[in-house]
Amino acid sequence: MCCKCNSSVIIPRTDPCFSFLPTRPDPHPNIISFPASVSFRVRPGGPHGPVKSILNDTVQFSSEPASFYDLLGIPETGNLLEIKQAYKQLARKYHPDVSPPDQVEEYTKRFIQVQEAYETLSDPRRRALYDRDLAKGIHLAFSARRRIGLEFDEQMEDKSEWKSRWESQLSHLKKRSMYKDSGDNMSWGARMRKQRNETS
Amino acid sequence: MAEQAYTVASDGETTGEEKSSSPFPEIAIGIDIGTSQCSVAVWSGSEVELLRNTRNQKLMKSYVTFKDEVPAGGVSNQLAHDYDMLSGAAIFNMKRLIGRVDTDPIVHASKSLPFLVQTLDIGVRPFIAALVKNMWRSTTPEEVLAIFLVELRVMAEMQLKRPIRNVVLTIPVSFSRFQLTRIERACAMAGLHVLRLMPEPTAVALLYAQQQQQNVHENMGSGSEKIALIFNMGAGFCDVAVTATAGGVSQIRSLAGSTLGGEDILQNTMRHLLPNMDSYISRHGIDEIQKMGLLRVATQDAIHKLSTQPSVEIDVDLGNERKVYKVLNRKEFEEVNQNVFEKCVSLINQCLHDAKIEVDDVNDVILVGGCSNIPNIRNMVMDICKKEFYSGMNPLEAAVRGAALEGAVASGVNDPFGNLDLLTIQTTALSIGIRADGNSIVPVIPKNTTMPARKDVIFTTVHNNQSEALIIVYEGNEKAVEKNHLLGYFKITGIPPAPKGVPEINVCMDIDASNALRVFAGVIMPGEQSPSAPFMEVRMPTVDDGHGWCAEALNRTYGSTLDLVTVQKKVQH
Repeated sequence: MCCKCNSSVIIPRTDPCFSFLPTRPDPHPNIISFPASVSFRVRPGGPHGPVKSILNDTVQFSSEPASFYDLLGIPETGNLLEIKQAYKQLARKYHPDVSPPDQVEEYTKRFIQVQEAYETLSDPRRRALYDRDLAKGIHLAFSARRRIGLEFDEQMEDKSEWKSRWESQLSHLKKRSMYKDSGDNMSWGARMRKQRNETS
Repeated sequence: MAEQAYTVASDGETTGEEKSSSPFPEIAIGIDIGTSQCSVAVWSGSEVELLRNTRNQKLMKSYVTFKDEVPAGGVSNQLAHDYDMLSGAAIFNMKRLIGRVDTDPIVHASKSLPFLVQTLDIGVRPFIAALVKNMWRSTTPEEVLAIFLVELRVMAEMQLKRPIRNVVLTIPVSFSRFQLTRIERACAMAGLHVLRLMPEPTAVALLYAQQQQQNVHENMGSGSEKIALIFNMGAGFCDVAVTATAGGVSQIRSLAGSTLGGEDILQNTMRHLLPNMDSYISRHGIDEIQKMGLLRVATQDAIHKLSTQPSVEIDVDLGNERKVYKVLNRKEFEEVNQNVFEKCVSLINQCLHDAKIEVDDVNDVILVGGCSNIPNIRNMVMDICKKEFYSGMNPLEAAVRGAALEGAVASGVNDPFGNLDLLTIQTTALSIGIRADGNSIVPVIPKNTTMPARKDVIFTTVHNNQSEALIIVYEGNEKAVEKNHLLGYFKITGIPPAPKGVPEINVCMDIDASNALRVFAGVIMPGEQSPSAPFMEVRMPTVDDGHGWCAEALNRTYGSTLDLVTVQKKVQH
C-alpha cells in the first residue's frame, strides 16, 4: 500500500493532519538545510531547487516529484546501509515525536513520504522495479493515486481542471482495480510501474 | 460508578501545595502496570530511577482490596499474607479483564479467580464484584485500576515532591483500541494524563536503543544498525517485538502479542492438580473462594520452585476430606503447559516473519518479564534463536525503565550527554479494516504498518440501487470477523441509484502522530464531478460497552443489505 498524502487535490480540509497550511514563511531552518528531503516539492532535476519554490509548494505540490533517492538524500547507487542510515536520520527530523510542535502536521506528511521511500528502496524487489522505471524516466516517485471520494477541496475552483484531474483519477482507479491483486504488497505506484513494464 | 471518593483531589488542590517547587519541566513518569506486579520509574536528570513505596518495594502487587471503607491497593496496603489477597475482598488481574465483554474467553477463564466474575454471555460488561462483609460489592476493572493508579500517583508525588500529571503507561501488544480507551479512562479517573501508551516490548526496545547509543558514546559499539528480538512474557500477556536500532532510533519492525502468560500456566497447573476445579468453584461460596485461594498460592509457589528444582511437593487441604497431594516434576509441568509454550513459539516465528528477517540477522535476544525465569521458556527461545540472551537489563524492570525514558523524551527533556537522544518509530500491532466481501475483514491499515499512517481501499456496492452502505470498523488479526474488536460503525447514505458495482466507495484510515484513528468514507459516481454525498469523517473507536451486542444486532437488522465488496473482488467475478 502506499501513501498519497502528497497529492494536493484530494485532501479534505477538515483533516487536521493533512490540511492545507496557509503559505507562510517557513521559520524552520531545518527544512532549508535539507534540500534533498524536500525535493519532492520542487521540479525534477532540481533537487537543490530554490528556496522560494519550497515555500510556495507548501500549498501546491509539484505534479512531478523527484525520486525517492533525492528524498532520502542518497545517490542512486546507494547501498542498503546508506538507505537505512538516511531513513533513520530523516526520521529523527520528521517524526512527529521530535518535530517542532507547530509543524507536526507538515512533518507527519513528510515522514510518511520518507517511510514510503524507505520501504520501497529497502526491498530489493521493489527497488529493482523502481529503478527500472526511473531509468525510463517515469518519475512516479510518490504514489500518484488520488483520493477518490475525498477530493473535496474548495480551493479547486477551476472546474475544467477539476474535471481533467478527476478523469485521470478515474483511469488510475480502473487500472488500479484491475491490477490490484497483481502485486500482493506493492504500493500502487509500484504496481503501476510493473504494469507499464509488462505492457510496454 | 457512583462513589469516586478515591479520586485524589482536583488539579487545583494537588498543585496548590508544592507550586513551582521544581524549576524543571514536568517530566512524565513511566508506569508499568503488570497483571501481577507494577512499578513506577522516572528520569532523575541523569538516569532512570525506580520509585519505592513506604515498604521499600520497587515492585508492588497489582490488586485492590475492598475490605475496608476505603479501598486500598497493593501500593500502600500491607497484606498479612498472600492468602489475604485471596479472601474474596481483593480484585486483581484487572489488566486481563479491562475492556472485555462477557463473551470473551479470557473473562470466562477468569471465573476461577477468588472474586466474582459472572457472565451472561450476551456481549456486555461482565459482573465483577468483591466480597465485602459477605456481600458482593460490584466494581469494574477501570475503577480498580483507577484506585490503584491513585495510590501510585500519591507515592510518586510524595517522593518526587511535585504534582504528577503526565504519565507514560506500558500496555500489552494485543490490546485493542477499545481497551486503550478504557486504560485512558482509568487514568483520567485517577487524575492522570496519558502522554503515551507504549506497547511493552517497544518500551524495552527503547531502553535497548539507549544502551546501544551509550555503547557508541563509550566507543564500545560500532554504531551500525542492530536488530533485537524482544520476548516479554509476564503474568497476563506474551509480547514479541523485532526492533532495528541505530543512532538512538528504535524502529519497530514487527509486533506480535497474545493474552498468554503466567496466569494461564497457573490455571493449567491448578486444573491438572484438581481436575474438577471448574465445578468446584462454580458455587462461588466463601468457603470455595478461600480453598481455591489456598490452591492458587500453593501452585504458584510450586511453579516458582520448579524453575530451580526438578520436582516439587504440593499438599493442600480443601476441607471435607478433600486433599490435593502431588509431587509435580518439571517434565509433567511442561507437558501440562505445552499449549502455552507452543503459542510462544508461534508468536516468535510470526514476529520474525513479519519483520522479514531471518534468525541469523538477530544481533541480540532480549528476554524479559516474570515468565522469563521458566527454564522451558528460556530453552524454547534459545532453540529458535540459537544465541545467548542479552544480559544488560533487569527482566522485571526493563519495561518501566523504557517507559520512563519515553516519558522524559516526550516531555521535551534534554540530556547534555545525549542519553535522551532517542526516538521510537512505532508500528500498528493489529490491522484495522472494515467488514466487506461477505462476512470477512478487509484490512485498510494492515498490521505492522509504521505510524503515523494513512491508507485507503476502494469498495463498491453489492446490490442494485443500493443507497446506503454500512462501514463497520474492526481491529484485529483474526480471520473471522467476530473474533476481532469492533471499533465502531457508521453509515454512508445518499448513494445515487446505480447497478451494483458502479459506485466507488473510498474508505480511508488515518492514524496520526498521537495514535488517534480517523476513518473517512465517501462515494463518487462515474461521470460525477464531486462526491455524491458529503464524505464522512469519524473518529474511532465510537462504541462503548456492549460492542459484542452491537455487531450481532447490526447483522440481525440489516443482514447483507448494506454490504460492500472490494473493487478487486468485483473484477474477479
